[in-house]
Amino acid sequence: MGMNRLQELAPFVKEALQQTAQVANLLCFLHVTNTYLCSIAKLVGPSMFPTFKDGNIVLTERISSRSGKVGSGDVVLIRSPDNPRKIVAKRVKGIEGDEVSYVLDPKNSDEQKTVIVPKGHVWIEGDNIQNSYDSRQLGPVPYALVQSRIFFVVWPPKDFRLIGNEVS
Amino acid sequence: MLVNGDPRPKKFWATPFSSLSFFPFCTSRKPTSVYGPSMLPTLNFTGDVLLVDKLSPMLGKVGPGDVVLVRSPENPRKTITKRIVGLEGDIVTFLVDPGRSDLSHSLVVPKGHVWIQGDNIYASNDSRHIGPVPYGLILGKVFCRGKLFLSDNQFDCEQMRSSTSWVFSIPMEESQVSCGHHKTLDDWHNDG
Repeated sequence: MGMNRLQELAPFVKEALQQTAQVANLLCFLHVTNTYLCSIAKLVGPSMFPTFKDGNIVLTERISSRSGKVGSGDVVLIRSPDNPRKIVAKRVKGIEGDEVSYVLDPKNSDEQKTVIVPKGHVWIEGDNIQNSYDSRQLGPVPYALVQSRIFFVVWPPKDFRLIGNEVS
Repeated sequence: MLVNGDPRPKKFWATPFSSLSFFPFCTSRKPTSVYGPSMLPTLNFTGDVLLVDKLSPMLGKVGPGDVVLVRSPENPRKTITKRIVGLEGDIVTFLVDPGRSDLSHSLVVPKGHVWIQGDNIYASNDSRHIGPVPYGLILGKVFCRGKLFLSDNQFDCEQMRSSTSWVFSIPMEESQVSCGHHKTLDDWHNDG
């Protein structure tokens, strides 16, 4: 009698397992896409004004950062060297070997300082110079901390556009 | 063309993705092979297969004494294996150039960074030369060193201890030290 019950339930169990396999498949696909191809991020904070405003949702791609092709002018998501749990959006102003000039204290003086970006590092700056915590305070950041490159804004709809190398 | 009685068409597009995506789940415990002299005597010069735990750094569970895989700040394509000596806020004291002098230097590890050193301090390019390394570059914690016995198909695992097995002194030739852009004895003198 017990065997009869089990046999009755068998098709339902099989169906349930199939559905679970399909859901697991979908999750795997999303995970691979997220890690190796393309991902979505929500930006907060004023440091990339006017390129990005607080609350913009952007599309990011990982192919350039993984293949080492991130260059000067790209906006990237980068893990903060100060706080490993924080990922920030900044623009790459110089890659290894470049000479970068920046103003030490924009409010008080025009004095500029020039550094050469060391091997394996990048120089990042926010577009909103007055209100950005970036390489001017942190120093050059190792390239390996770059997570992905931002290439498209998707939200809000009026901001729908490609992101290029210049400050817009 | 579907005819009555044909089985439901299989979702063939899903299969490549499901097999590709098996690998990320494998990377929570990933075998890696490493080589080089900087972690003697803990790891072999000619190569070792290590089991690496990729979840611990994400959870913040690595600490001093752990052997970790770190992405090199000097070359983003290179992964180096070293031991963590200090976390952020710790004071680390190290011998600047152990082969040539007794000069030692102390500093506080800055926020968000770790201080890594190879067990073989005579032949290791580590934080003593490249400075403290951001925590975000840590890829995984090594918890096991294995030996693959091809004859009897075994994988023997030796757990990583939290300190080196012994301290030894072998004078190393200049050319064997892995150099890059690194601080010399004079740099440390000048830093004060």
